[in-house]
Amino acid sequence: MSFLKKPKTCVFLLFIFVLLLSILGALQKGAFPIHTEVWLSLLTGEHPLFKSSQNGDIYILWYLRIPRVMLAVLMGAALGLAGTLVQGLFRNPLADPSLLGVTTGAASAAALTIVFCSGDRIAMFGMAKIWILPIMSFLGAFLTCMTLNVSSKWLASGSISGLLLLGIALNALGVSIIGLCTYLATDEQLRNLSFWTLGSLAGANWTMVVMMWLMLVIVYVCSSRLSPRLNALSLGEVTAAHLGIVVSRLRWSISVMVALLAGLSVAFCGVIGFIGLIAPHLARAVIGADQRVLLPLSMLMGALLMLTADTIARTIVIPAEVPVGIFTALLGSPFLIVLLRTRRHRIG
Amino acid sequence: MTMLRLDAVVKKLGRHSLGPYSLCIQHNECVAIVGPNGAGKSTLLKLMSGTYRANTGRIIFNHRPLDCWTSQALSEKRAVLSQFQEFAFALPARIVIGLGRVARNTDPDHHQIVSQAAGLLGLTHHLDQTIDTLSGGELARVHLARVVAQLWDVEHGFILMDEPMAAVDPGCQDFLLETLMGFARLRKHAVIAVMHDLNHALRYFNRLVLVHPTGKLEIVTSGQEAKNALEHLFKVRLSCLKDEQGDLVMLPLRGQRQRTG
Repeated sequence: MSFLKKPKTCVFLLFIFVLLLSILGALQKGAFPIHTEVWLSLLTGEHPLFKSSQNGDIYILWYLRIPRVMLAVLMGAALGLAGTLVQGLFRNPLADPSLLGVTTGAASAAALTIVFCSGDRIAMFGMAKIWILPIMSFLGAFLTCMTLNVSSKWLASGSISGLLLLGIALNALGVSIIGLCTYLATDEQLRNLSFWTLGSLAGANWTMVVMMWLMLVIVYVCSSRLSPRLNALSLGEVTAAHLGIVVSRLRWSISVMVALLAGLSVAFCGVIGFIGLIAPHLARAVIGADQRVLLPLSMLMGALLMLTADTIARTIVIPAEVPVGIFTALLGSPFLIVLLRTRRHRIG
Repeated sequence: MTMLRLDAVVKKLGRHSLGPYSLCIQHNECVAIVGPNGAGKSTLLKLMSGTYRANTGRIIFNHRPLDCWTSQALSEKRAVLSQFQEFAFALPARIVIGLGRVARNTDPDHHQIVSQAAGLLGLTHHLDQTIDTLSGGELARVHLARVVAQLWDVEHGFILMDEPMAAVDPGCQDFLLETLMGFARLRKHAVIAVMHDLNHALRYFNRLVLVHPTGKLEIVTSGQEAKNALEHLFKVRLSCLKDEQGDLVMLPLRGQRQRTG
């Protein structure tokens, strides 16, 4: 067991173990508590897909609880990864897709789609949610990323406050577009819209889980190949270019990845902020700033945070539930203020 | 044999333009760029490193225009140490040194090269420290080690440096310059550095490129004969001495700066 002697491997094993325990815990909690023997019976083949008799417990577990918990884990991992990539891209530890307006950009594109792009609105909605919304939110997120990319060039390089101010402007633009959509929307559309602005995992199903999983695997594989380059980018764009990196190409690929992650997560779950800010910070505190290990650990951290937040959100006022976006914001805003305080000498 | 050639290179920065610069640098040659503040030393270096593109004129490296080299191919032949170093995240020194080799497709000896480069610059005990905990001089050494690691296993490359000794204490400066020049000689690299310390320039470099504020480049071999040109360039009188080891030392004389305009 020589690999256990490496402290970094131990950290990963520890966090994977904690995540697995949390998943098991989260599966049992809920408006309808499910006991251990029920989910154990899933393993022994008493599966709703194999059995025609619909046992209530198993139905809830298989079609509601498991997809929801899985989506929470995947969403958290996606947000953690997106946050780390954005921080690496802008060489700025205070960057986050939601602070910079990337998620709002995706949400406003989704809102525009809901309100303007459906003829027979409700009938189309079921199918559209799977394909059109993710594509549109990806485009919205990508557009925001490119705007940030272009304008961060004429901002002072590496300026934290400049980037955050730009994020405020883009956020305001996105929020106003969402506001306009709310104003123009019908009652039915309005309910869908509020889902996007608050952020919730309540709509989880297996299709979402599979799509999220695929996208996460693809983006993770691509981004981990670029992680040494992200390390080089932390020395500055000029130095990175001297080290043989085509900085513009790197910026493009990272932007596409962030837009994919932010776009799909917004399309499925709405705007959930701050996970992308907190997860990389915690991960960096545990394992250091090397992007090669930081990327996977931020994903684990994000998954843990998201799972905890979502489990609290759906159990705190049983039988109702609170949108998880509210929880992450409650957690995240004080965190951001503390970060601003500790880093005040670098702001400006 | 010419390695790097500048043909009437002009760079426009805002309203004023610098140049035209013409210069030939041979393989395995050490050239110091000296000149008064604002004369365009850093600009000249940035033109050679490819950070700035020339408005007119050509820069040829190994018989090919510098623009035609891919970023990756160039990084295997030339390393650059900028005047100011920045870092966004507190990476360990080991990784920063290793970044010199980040563009290599395959790099089987990576760890060995990193520790050898660190050992060369006396950083063996700082490898696991994060760079935000290092002193200015140690940080400068980390970046020097990065440059050394970048060109560790190639020959006939070139190293560009902009005031590499600015943050280093006097006790360490000679050790670092000697080490660096020894490394460059061994691998037949050329070294081109902007130097503020005339005596370092005289002691460790074969030739001096004097950058005049008018845009003229004057090339002198380092030694006694450089005295007149340097006096003219800096508008001071220099006194030439020999130190205990017989090395040439030039010191500006007090109160002898000639007023201009």
